[in-house]
Amino acid sequence: MHIPDGYLSPATCVAAYAVAVPLWAVGFKKVRERLDERSLPLLASLTALSFVIMMFNIPIPGGTSGHAVGAALLAILFGPWIAFVAVSLALLIQALLFGDGGITTFAANALDMAAAGSFVAWWTFQALRRYRYAPFLAGWLGLVAASFLASIFLGIQPHIAVDAAGKALYFPFGLTTTITALTGAHLLFFGVVEGIFTQLGYAFLKKTDPELFAEEAR
Amino acid sequence: MNKKRRLWMLLGAAVLLTPLGLLTDASAWGEWEESYYQKALGYIPHGIKNALHWHAPLPDYALHGFSSVAGYYLSALVGVAAIYGVFWLMSRSRKRDA
Repeated sequence: MHIPDGYLSPATCVAAYAVAVPLWAVGFKKVRERLDERSLPLLASLTALSFVIMMFNIPIPGGTSGHAVGAALLAILFGPWIAFVAVSLALLIQALLFGDGGITTFAANALDMAAAGSFVAWWTFQALRRYRYAPFLAGWLGLVAASFLASIFLGIQPHIAVDAAGKALYFPFGLTTTITALTGAHLLFFGVVEGIFTQLGYAFLKKTDPELFAEEAR
Repeated sequence: MNKKRRLWMLLGAAVLLTPLGLLTDASAWGEWEESYYQKALGYIPHGIKNALHWHAPLPDYALHGFSSVAGYYLSALVGVAAIYGVFWLMSRSRKRDA
């Protein structure tokens, strides 16, 4: 789901940055307001864990692979705004140091994996928090939402950018294909992995650091 | 202290296991080599062919001349260190403002 440079039209990239920049500003402000000496190390560790989790490529039928993101666990613990900033940071480091995901497409990648992933996970968790498997469902639905937004970014390209001969200028496959392949794979496989990671991570932290959950309701 | 140590052990275990992520050669859907488009479409989309080419220091989590496992370990450590570094800078600027 790390969209590389050259896959999205310049208009899509600019629009994604125009939406993402104000959201980063809000999120960054919340990080500075809400975090203290006690919570910053935990946020740093879970952001690092999110980065490492994305290195576990899992093969699926059909000859492709994918991975979990770890946004949902951050969103449940710190709220969606801070999770959005944290996962954006992991994505920025992946793009700059490892060429994983583009520079021009960084905002689009942050809007799907970091923003959609965190907010949908957080809303899901809030709605279902009385249930034991709320963390699993939050992780699963968060990643499915992220992949859906990525499918939209990619799938609109052949509809908005073709040359005179009808050849795609950027990503060549349309919405039906991207939603089937990309969202479908996350619905069936990677979302489930994200759900399991979220459920296990939540249980682990609840056991080792119960005080953390006194503030969880924010 | 204890709970912090346990979280670090979890992170350390995850880093140790990262080479498992190398077991598959399959690329992520949509993240193909240019040759894929040539084969699938008969052409490489103009924008993909002429994309901005960013020279990442550890492209694809690999270090030229080293085994893929060594490159992957190095990448995991560099990435984790970079993330801690940014948060450290953030907490320092926070303290300075306070």
